[in-house]
Amino acid sequence: MNPNLLFLILLLPLCGALINGLFGLRLPRALRGAVAVGAVAASFASVCLLWPLAAGEGTRTILGTWLASGNLRADFGLLFDPLSAAMALMVTGVSTLIHLYAVGYMHKEADTARFFALLNLFVFAMLCIVLADNLLLLFLGWEGVGFCSYGLIGFWYAKVENAAAGRKAFLVTRVGDVFFAIALLWLFAALGQLGIPEINALAPQLSPTAVTAIALLLLAGACGKSAQLPLMTWLPDAMAGPTPVSALIHAATMVTAGVYLLCRLFPLVSLSPTAMTAIALVGAVTALYAASCALAQREIKRVLAYSTMSQIGYMFIGVGAGTVSGAMFHLTTHAFFKALLFMGAGCVIHLCHEENDIYRMGGVARRSPLVFALFLAGALCLAGLPFSGGFFSKDGILLAAYAQGDGWFRLIWLLGLASALLTSLYSFRLLLLVFAGEPREKVHKHHLPGLMRWTLPPLALLGLFGGLFNLPPAYGGGERLHHWLGSLAGSLPVVDHAREFQLAALAGGLFLLGAVIAWWRYRRFPGEQPSALKNFLLHGWQADAVVEWSLLKPFRAIGRFFWEGLDRTLIEGVLHTLAGGAMREGETLRRWTNGRLSTYLSGFAWGLLALLLWFLLVLAKSAGPPHT
Amino acid sequence: MIVPLTHVLAFSGALFFLGLACVLARRNLIMILIGVEIMINGAGLALAGGSAFWQNIDGQILVILLMALTSAEVSISLAMVVYLQRRRGTLEANAYNEMHG
Repeated sequence: MNPNLLFLILLLPLCGALINGLFGLRLPRALRGAVAVGAVAASFASVCLLWPLAAGEGTRTILGTWLASGNLRADFGLLFDPLSAAMALMVTGVSTLIHLYAVGYMHKEADTARFFALLNLFVFAMLCIVLADNLLLLFLGWEGVGFCSYGLIGFWYAKVENAAAGRKAFLVTRVGDVFFAIALLWLFAALGQLGIPEINALAPQLSPTAVTAIALLLLAGACGKSAQLPLMTWLPDAMAGPTPVSALIHAATMVTAGVYLLCRLFPLVSLSPTAMTAIALVGAVTALYAASCALAQREIKRVLAYSTMSQIGYMFIGVGAGTVSGAMFHLTTHAFFKALLFMGAGCVIHLCHEENDIYRMGGVARRSPLVFALFLAGALCLAGLPFSGGFFSKDGILLAAYAQGDGWFRLIWLLGLASALLTSLYSFRLLLLVFAGEPREKVHKHHLPGLMRWTLPPLALLGLFGGLFNLPPAYGGGERLHHWLGSLAGSLPVVDHAREFQLAALAGGLFLLGAVIAWWRYRRFPGEQPSALKNFLLHGWQADAVVEWSLLKPFRAIGRFFWEGLDRTLIEGVLHTLAGGAMREGETLRRWTNGRLSTYLSGFAWGLLALLLWFLLVLAKSAGPPHT
Repeated sequence: MIVPLTHVLAFSGALFFLGLACVLARRNLIMILIGVEIMINGAGLALAGGSAFWQNIDGQILVILLMALTSAEVSISLAMVVYLQRRRGTLEANAYNEMHG
């Protein structure tokens, strides 16, 4: 097989984006969607067909040189190894379903050309991150994803909040990008290489301090894209975009980019125990934080956004605990069930007449049993129903954290368990509030387009049975994903099976406990009952306010000082004084030109007098009387 | 040279300042022009005197030039005086102050 065919995976979505971006407005509506779906589906098909190339060490192929200057060399090169192939398969597969769903979702929207162009460009940028063989190309995709998320979150830009949400996502992730860029430059300065395999191979040459610093910088970069503390504020607001965008950003792409980056550079990151602990700790704290916030949210999509943040926290724990395969496993199952949940939420919102508030929903189960069944499947996976995909992947990560022993990782493990309980609780709260009981608002009958319904069942099946991809040996599985990843898979937790079953039972118990609490509390809608704690959680622990007070207010104060204090008062003041003086002088001089001949003539006379006086002075100064 | 140069220069200076006084003091355009003529002639006298003193022809050439210049100036300015008199009915210099800033 010609390895250059790998570029098809990348270029097909780009072509789709170009066609829709350049000619989309001239194409018939049906064709725009068809081009977008076709491009991504073809990309998915190429990943499937080229799958054999990834086996073993994988294939590395270079299309051409992008930059070459001195030592610096960056190629348009792809690295199709087990890790990137698995990720690319997941990205293209889930994206295809999301694109199909989007065709149904956007069928009443006017500006679909821009939408599908950006959607395809998004997939292209994500695949760039996944498949790049050097960090510079990866960074290109990294920024491309940021740009497309800006365009898509603010897709309905006519509403100011949406445009602001897009801007916020762009700017907050940009903070992380700066750290990533520093890490990239540092790596280049220290190793003289940008290729990912080279960096991973040469990493042991770096001093331990440098490795720790670089790994922490990479962590900061990953935090921005993956919405981990403290750069997480953009994610809940990103719900302003159309639902397929939320599904795409929060399931298959963008937010997983940070986890993927850490997995990709795992051989480097794993050299620093400090950084590993920091990664796991950030993940654990974020998991608990986001799960607690999800408990109090009122908008269905915000609940899911916080749950995404929380689940990605688990993936960070996985990377920190050294199990890349565990993190990738959770990433994959999460992609399935979270895409399912988001698209199900889109269906629910549509059925409830564009209502977002779960306090005003209720009784959706009776109106659409299919959507209920699918959403239930997704929520059960999220909550960790024993033997569903989400259960195995989450358990694998918690097991790995547990196996790391005492110290920080015991705390991380406990945080993970607490988050698991909260996850179950908020999942069932969401389910009960949305689907149980009677409708709390009067609603008209709405019909769902077929594309919006029938793209969900495959995801539900993948989510429920996703555990089979990486079934642990304790359950008779072969850990397929772990073996597929080979040398890239990180370490395996060493725990005997009895302890593993005890932990699984504990997780199952937490799942049940959460379900019981939610059933007891939300079986019947208890009313809004606002409280200070709820309000605190609803606003994400007032994170926005903290940012506002700690960063934006001082920044604005400095800005105002420079603007009003320095620019306006000092600089403009000096200039205004000078200009005003010149004006007044000009006004005085202007009075002399009164047009009267006599004034001018006397001016001449005075001038003559002055000249003569000057001559006299000169004569008086030169020695002796003038010669005659 | 029979007349000493100092006398010539004193006379021409007196002539010049008399003309200047006329220019400054009078408001009638014709009188101002006459004052200018007197000033020019004062200057011409100084040039002629200098030419005679230093035995240099340049001064006299300049005087001839000055005469030609004066005649041209007088013809144009008198034509303008006639025109202004017809147009505005006055030769009062301060009546023509449209060029004020």
